[in-house]
Amino acid sequence: MKKLSWILLTATLAAQAQVPAPVTTQTLTNAQQDPNSWLSYGKNYYGWRYSPLTQITAANVAQLAPAWILPTGVPGNNETTPLVYGDMMYLTGPSNNAWAVDLLTGKKVWSYSDYVPSGLGLCCGTVNRGFAMLGDRLFKVNIQSTLVSLEAKSGKVLWETTIDDYKKGYSNTAAPLIIKDMVVVGTAGAEWGIRGYIDAYDAATGKRRWRFYTVPTAGEAGIETWGGNSYKTGGGSTWITGTYDPELNLIYWGIGNPGPDMDGSVRKGDNLYTCAIVAIDADTGKLKWYFQMTPHDVHDWDAVADPVLVEAMVKGVKVKAVAQANRNGFYYLLDRTTGKFITAKAYTKVNWADGIGADGRPILIAGREPTPEGNMTCPGLGGGHNWSATAYSPKTGLYYFGATDGCQMFNVEKMEYVEGNQYQAGDAVAVPKEPTSGSVNAVDPSTGTLKWKHTLMSNPSGLLATAGGLVFTGDSDGYMMALDGLTGKVLWHYQTGAAIRSPAISYTFHGKQYIAMVSGQNLLAFKLP
Amino acid sequence: MAFPQWLKPVLALLAIAPGSCFAQALTNPFAGNAQAVADGSKIFAQSCAPCHGRDGTGGQGQAEGMRPPDLTRGVFKAGRQDSDLFRVVSQGVRGTEMPSFAALGNDQIWRVLTFVRSLSTVAPVLAGDPAAGETLFWGKGNCGSCHQVGTKGTRLGPDLTRGGRRSNVKSLRESIVDPNADITPGFAIITVETREHQKISGLERWLDNFSARLIDQSGNERTYLRDDVISIDREMRSTMPDNYGKMFSATDVDNLVAYIQKIRREANSQ
Repeated sequence: MKKLSWILLTATLAAQAQVPAPVTTQTLTNAQQDPNSWLSYGKNYYGWRYSPLTQITAANVAQLAPAWILPTGVPGNNETTPLVYGDMMYLTGPSNNAWAVDLLTGKKVWSYSDYVPSGLGLCCGTVNRGFAMLGDRLFKVNIQSTLVSLEAKSGKVLWETTIDDYKKGYSNTAAPLIIKDMVVVGTAGAEWGIRGYIDAYDAATGKRRWRFYTVPTAGEAGIETWGGNSYKTGGGSTWITGTYDPELNLIYWGIGNPGPDMDGSVRKGDNLYTCAIVAIDADTGKLKWYFQMTPHDVHDWDAVADPVLVEAMVKGVKVKAVAQANRNGFYYLLDRTTGKFITAKAYTKVNWADGIGADGRPILIAGREPTPEGNMTCPGLGGGHNWSATAYSPKTGLYYFGATDGCQMFNVEKMEYVEGNQYQAGDAVAVPKEPTSGSVNAVDPSTGTLKWKHTLMSNPSGLLATAGGLVFTGDSDGYMMALDGLTGKVLWHYQTGAAIRSPAISYTFHGKQYIAMVSGQNLLAFKLP
Repeated sequence: MAFPQWLKPVLALLAIAPGSCFAQALTNPFAGNAQAVADGSKIFAQSCAPCHGRDGTGGQGQAEGMRPPDLTRGVFKAGRQDSDLFRVVSQGVRGTEMPSFAALGNDQIWRVLTFVRSLSTVAPVLAGDPAAGETLFWGKGNCGSCHQVGTKGTRLGPDLTRGGRRSNVKSLRESIVDPNADITPGFAIITVETREHQKISGLERWLDNFSARLIDQSGNERTYLRDDVISIDREMRSTMPDNYGKMFSATDVDNLVAYIQKIRREANSQ
C-alpha cells in the first residue's frame, strides 16, 4: 500500500511537472539563465531584451516562417511585450484588454477586458505595454490609472487598486516591474500638468508601499529648480518601465518632460527631476541619485527610454553603468552606483547643443527654444530615440536602439492650467520639404561610438537581440525584419499586414526557438521549418 | 410602423442618443456662430491639438507614431453630417487613438465642431471668377491632364473632386505658383536605378523599406523590390511644373483659386 501511494504521488508530481513553478524574485533575478521563458518587460532586470537562444541564426533566418497567427480582435496600436512561461503566453492589448494564449496552437485560453471610461487625458491612445508576473499572478495597469492583479491560470481578477484620478490627467500604460514582493509602476500625464511619481504596491494585497514623486514639493530638495509654484503642475511622468540592480538594490527609472511642455517661461530653473534618470532605493523609494539629461526642457524630450544596465570599460576599468539613448539626440553612459556622468555622444542630427560638457550638462546653442512662429530644432519632438524598447547583446557587446533622424518646427503659445485639461502650450510640426527618416543603431556602450546605422523610412518598433547574432524589429508598413547584429544588414523580412509598434520576444516551446511579435491586432509566432 | 404608446419615450431618448442605431441626423445648434467658433478654438487647443495639431492639419501626433487626420480639408472619414462628427467626438473611434470626449458635454462638443467646420469653410475670393477659372483649368491651363475633378481629368496629381487638401486662398495660390513649397503626401518623385543602370522616374504610389511603386511618364505603374535594383530614391519635388506663376497672370491665378474653392463649396454642400 505504501508502495502504491508512492507510485500515485510520483504520478501526480509527474503530471504537475507540466505546470511551471511559481515565479519568484530569484526566478526574475536569474531570468537571463532561463532561455525558454520571457518573464518581464525587459527579459531580465537589466533591461537587455537579449535572448540566449541560438537556433535561429544569420545563416538560417531566411527560412523563418509563421507557426501561427492569433487575431486578438482588438484594434488600436498594440505596444505590448508578451510574457512566456510554461506553455502559455500572456499578452496585453489596447483599451484594457489582455489574453492568455496556448503556445501549442496559438489559441486564446482566457480573455480579460475592462471598461474604458470617457474623460481620459491621453496623448497617444489607450495603449498598454505588458504584464508583470510573480508567483502565479499577473499584474497590469489599466488606462484609467488602476493596477490589477489576475490569476495566471484563469485570468480571474484578484484585486484592483486605483493609482490616481484619471479625471486629473493621470493614465497608465507601462508594464509593471516586480521587485521582491512589490509591483512597481509609473504614470503618464505630463501633458496634463500632473505631478509624476513612481509607485510600489504590495503584490499580495495591492496596498501602496511607497511613492517617489518625480517633482519635489515645498521644503524638499530640488524645489529651488522650479520658479514660483510651477512645481505643482510640473509633469515628470514615468511611462516606460525601469530596470533594477539586485546587488545595489537600486531601481533605475527614466522621467518625462516638465509641464507645460513648450512654455519654459512659466517654470524657470532646471525643473528637477524631469528629463532625468533617477536611482531609487527599492525598499524605501528614497532617491539615491539623479542625472538630468535635459535641464529645463522645452522640446518634450522625455528621458523615459529603457535605462539599460551594462558593464562598461572606462579607462581600462570595469564599471557598473547605465546606458540610455536619450530622446534629446545624445547617447549617455552613467556610473550606476553613483550617478556620475561618464560619457555622451550624439547619435543623430542635433542642432540645440554643441555637445555635452564634462559635467554632463548640454552646451547649449542659443535660439533653439520654441517660438510662436515655429523654430526648427533637431531632433524633433519624438526624438531621437523615443520610448521603443532597446536591446543589449553581451555577445556582440553592442547596444541597439531605433531612432527618428530629422527635425521639426516647435511652436509655443500661452496656456492657462485647468485641472484635467491638456497643458502643453505648443506643439511640433513637420519641416516643409524635409521628411524625417528612421534608423536602427548599434553603438559601443562604453564609448557611444556608432558601429553601424541601418536607415529606414521611419523609426522602427522596439528591438530584440539574440545570441544567434540577430536583431529583430518591425516598421509602420508592417514589415518584420531581422538584421545582422554585427553589420546591420537586413537578412530577413516578412510582411505581416499591419503596422508594428511592439518589440519581438523569443522563447522555446517543445525544443524549438520562436520569435513572437504583435502586428496591428494580430499576434504572430515564427519558427524555423 | 406603429409603436406602442409606452415605447415612445424610450424611442425619443434613443433618437437623441448619439451613435444609436435609431439616431436621427443631429444638427449643430451653433452652426456658423462666430462666438462658438471662438469658444471651440479654445476647446480644440486644449483637447484636440495634442494629436491634430494647433492648426488641425495633423501636428505632433505624427511624431508620436499616430495618424491623426487632417481636419482642415472638410472631408471626414466618419461622414459629413453633423451627427457623424458628433458621434466621433462623443464616442471616439474604435481601433484608433481617438478617444471619447463625452466628458466635454454636448454644448462643448458642438462648439468645438463649429470650430472644426470653420477650418474648411471657404472664404470668398473677391477677385476671382470661378467660371473663367474653370475655362482655364480645362482649356489653356491643361490642369486636367494631371488632376481629376469628379469623372473628368486624370489622377496623376492630387484629386481635386472635393477641392484638394487646402482650402485657404494663400495655400491654393501657393500650390499653383510654387508647387514645391508644400507637396501633398504621396506625390513626390521616385527614381529607381535598375541593375542595368537604367534610371526610371515617376510619381510615387508608395515607398517603403523593401519596395516602391511608381507611375512612369507613360502612365504605366510598376512595383520594384529594393533587393532587385541598385537604388530607389525619393525626391521631395512636385511633378507639377513650377512655371505657372510666369505662364498665368495674377488674374488667371485668382480665377483658378476661385474655381477650386467653388468645387469645394459645392462638394461641402452635398
